[in-house]
Order: sequence, then structure tokens, then C-alpha cells
Amino acid sequence: MEWANAIVQGIVTGGFYALFACGLSLMFGVMGIINLAHGDLAIIAAYVAIALVPSTHLPMVWAFVVVVPIFALGGYLLQRTLLQTSLDRSPFTTLLVTFGLSVIIENVLLEVFSANGQSITIGTLITKSFSVNTTITISYLSVIVLAVAIVVLGGIQLFLSRTPTGRQIRAVADDREAAQLVGANYRHVFGIAAAIAFATVALAGLSYGMLTEFVPTSGVTTLLFAFESVVIGGIGNVWGTLVGGVILGVAQQIGAQINPAYQILAGNLVFLAVLAVRPRGLFGVRTA
Amino acid sequence: MALLELEEVTKRYGQLLVTDRVSLRVDEGALVGMVGPNGAGKTTLFGIISGDARPEGGRVSFDGVTVNRLDPAARCRMGIGRTYQVPRPFGGMTVFENILMATQQGGRLRGRESRLAAASVLGRTGLEGLANRPAGTLGLLGRKRLEVARALATRPRLLLLDEVAGGLTDPEVAELMDVVRSIRSEGVAIVWIEHVVRALIDTVDRLVCLASGRLVADGAPAVVLSDPSVREVYLGTDVAADPGART
Repeated sequence: MEWANAIVQGIVTGGFYALFACGLSLMFGVMGIINLAHGDLAIIAAYVAIALVPSTHLPMVWAFVVVVPIFALGGYLLQRTLLQTSLDRSPFTTLLVTFGLSVIIENVLLEVFSANGQSITIGTLITKSFSVNTTITISYLSVIVLAVAIVVLGGIQLFLSRTPTGRQIRAVADDREAAQLVGANYRHVFGIAAAIAFATVALAGLSYGMLTEFVPTSGVTTLLFAFESVVIGGIGNVWGTLVGGVILGVAQQIGAQINPAYQILAGNLVFLAVLAVRPRGLFGVRTA
Repeated sequence: MALLELEEVTKRYGQLLVTDRVSLRVDEGALVGMVGPNGAGKTTLFGIISGDARPEGGRVSFDGVTVNRLDPAARCRMGIGRTYQVPRPFGGMTVFENILMATQQGGRLRGRESRLAAASVLGRTGLEGLANRPAGTLGLLGRKRLEVARALATRPRLLLLDEVAGGLTDPEVAELMDVVRSIRSEGVAIVWIEHVVRALIDTVDRLVCLASGRLVADGAPAVVLSDPSVREVYLGTDVAADPGART
């Protein structure tokens, strides 16, 4: 029964990984940007929430209402300025620029918030959980995060496949010159994709801050899991990212069940196994 | 007033002069063929008109507006449509989605209107049966048709066709010609690059010849093809008689 518990815990953890990873996957899939600052951006969202909530005495829900749109706007602006300029030079420049962003963000956060661990308190919800039976106990919060991940990923999927803007994003991801030729301004479309990615980063960061304690450097560790989820699921596949996250989460929990020291190792082994057998990921599309 | 006007347009790639002070006028509703050997600068000239390439000198104006500084998306919205020599469909999208995207962006239509327009383009280009196929799975003829359909769906006033007949069999060429004639009959001006010269001279009312980046002849097809400088460019081959004339 402990194994069943490990799997259940793995699945809910996987939901969080997928939420964390989908923005990363979107930015890589559409712009070809490997955003090394992705994890740090999420941590910014968590810090903004803990700075905002006590000073304004607003309920936690308002942190979402405020932080997510700010991140979306910030994503659009960052893409139209710094990231687009780097992209115009080379993909390698973009990689370096996001690495630089990551370093700057971590140091500024250390300066402002210190290296002490903090977490977002949301009253009693954080501690409440329900028991399926004697061994399986699930926290409400992790189930909520899983549900949010499914809604967000499903929303992105629907948006990409059904709306004119989503179609533009797919077209630009496929061939930006040809997309320009049928009237789509690819820089603007890139901005929209970045806005969506940043909104999901904010959601992921806020979830992370509620699920666990964080320090300014937490983003980097979590970024690794996000990368693994994306690669396991296959780049450019929204549901693949969810499955990738869940596989990673379950592998880690099963590893931890064998020996707590094996948690991260087990996840990395599964990741390597997928890379070896299916380099494009489980649901990756073969590009012509 | 000319719909499209190029004045002394010059473009270099490094030391290589690809278009050398080219001036060209295309009137509303005209059908102009463009011939010339490989490397003459035909496709580059299309790039300069559509905004994919930036000329170092000269002026490009469309509908009386200088468009030199506008990006391809803006020019498309103004009414300049272009096809690529090697079709570049959005492979992950269906044929219908490819066309719908063009009606919504370049064509600036929304909702139901954009769907109706896309459906009409599908019909006119003979792609109805392939509407729900992923564009990446189409054969050459299908890709060529889609390339024309997508450009047409942006509701252009000027359509730049780059070798739409290349690589097709004679009956296939004939089918595409019908499509082009029907587009033309709606008053859309067309500039058409084609190596299959015979396909051109049956259809166009004016022919221009480009060689080494310069415009060497411009006029009625028969006159241009008998022009000594054009004959020289084609190394003495009788271009009109040789349907597959490729230099």
C-alpha cells in the first residue's frame, strides 16, 4: 500500500512539474528560446506574493489576480525588447542572455529577501488533507495544483488549436517567414506566446511557494525537473508535458520509497532512459 | 497610377550585385510574366517587393505609398501576396487552417466571414477534398496549389507567383493556369516568374526579362522573346519553342 501511496503522491507532484514546465516548453517550441531564467522567474512570483500580501492585507487569492497579469505583461515586454534583440543575433546569444537574467535575479532576490527560507501562508488549506485509506493521505493543496495544471494545459491546448491567435502561434513556430508573408507579425506573436508562458510561470511560482519552503536559488533546482518533464513528454506537445511531469513525479516518489536518498536519482534515471530510447520524447513530433 | 512601382532598386549580397537599378511598373489588374536565367535576381526582386529582402538603394511603392520600411506582414495586409518557389506550408496545420490563417491575418477577416472566404479559396484552387489533411502530407501539386491558395486568401491586389508550375506535369500545369486566369479575371494584378516559358506566353499580356540583376527587356511577349538581348541571355536557344527552357 505504501507503493500505491508513492504513485499517488508522484502523480500530484507531476501536476506541479507540468505546470512549471509548460511555459518552458512553449517558449522553446515557438521562439526556440531555452529560457534558463524560467525557474528564477517563478521564484520572483512567489516573493512578490509574500511581499504583497502582508503589506496590503489582501487575501492570498488577490496575489494570483495581481501577479499573473503582471507577469503576462512583463513577458510580452521582455520578449519584444531584450529577448527579441538577442534572438535577432543568434540562439546562443539568447541562451547567454537568459543565463545572465537568471544570475541577476538570484542575486537581487538574495539581496532583498536574504537566503532564509520562506513560504506563502494560505491559512489552513496548506495543512489540510484527506485520507483515502490508512496509508494514502493527499493534501488538498497538491490536488488543487494538479487540477490547475490540467486546466492550464488544457486551456493552452484549446487556445492553440481553436483560436486565430493560437493558429498564428503555431504558424509562426513552424515558419516565421511564411507566417509574415500571410500577414502575421511574428514579433507580436512571439510576445503573446511569451505572455502566456510568463503567466504560467507566475502560477507555477505561486504554487511552489505554497507547496514548499523556498529560497532565492530554488528556481534552478526546479528548472531541472521542468526540463526533464518537457523532454520526457516531447517538446511542443502540451499533454506530453503533463505525462512527462507525472512520469517524473512517480519515478521520484518510487525512488524515495526504496530509499529517501534515491528520490532525485530515480527521476534522472527515468529521464536518461527516455532520452536513450526515444530522444524526441514519448509524444514528440518528428520534424520533417 | 501604377499599383506597384519600383524605381532604381538595387540589392547586393556582399560584393554581388543581385538587382542593379531595376525599375518596373505594374498596373492594376495587369498580368506580367518574368523570365530570366537562374541567378538573374528574379526571386530577390520578389523578396524586395514582399519585404523579405531590403534593397540598398531605390524606392518600392505600392498603391502610391512608399513601402521600403514596412515589414512583410504589413505589406501583406496592404495587398501584396507572394508564393515561394519551394512551397512552405505550415506542415502541422490542416490545409483549411493554413488558408484560414491567411484570410484572418493578411485578409483581415474575422469569424464566419473568414471561414466563408477560406472555403471559397479552397473551392477555387481545387483543394476542397484535401481541406482536413495536414498540409505536411500533401504531394507536390497539392503543395503548389496550397501555396497559391494561401497567397490568394490574403486577398491581395498584387499577387507574386514564383514558379508555381515548376516540376509539374503538363496537365497539372494546365490546371494551375486555369486557377491563375480566374484570379486575374477578378482584377488582381499578377507578376509571374516561370521557367516554363510556354506556360507564360499563352497567358500573360506583358513579359519582362531579367539578366544578371538588370531588366533587359519589357514589352509584349512576342516582342520580348525576339529581342536580341533576350536571345543572347538564353544562349541562342529558341525559348518560345522549347517548353522546358532552362538555362
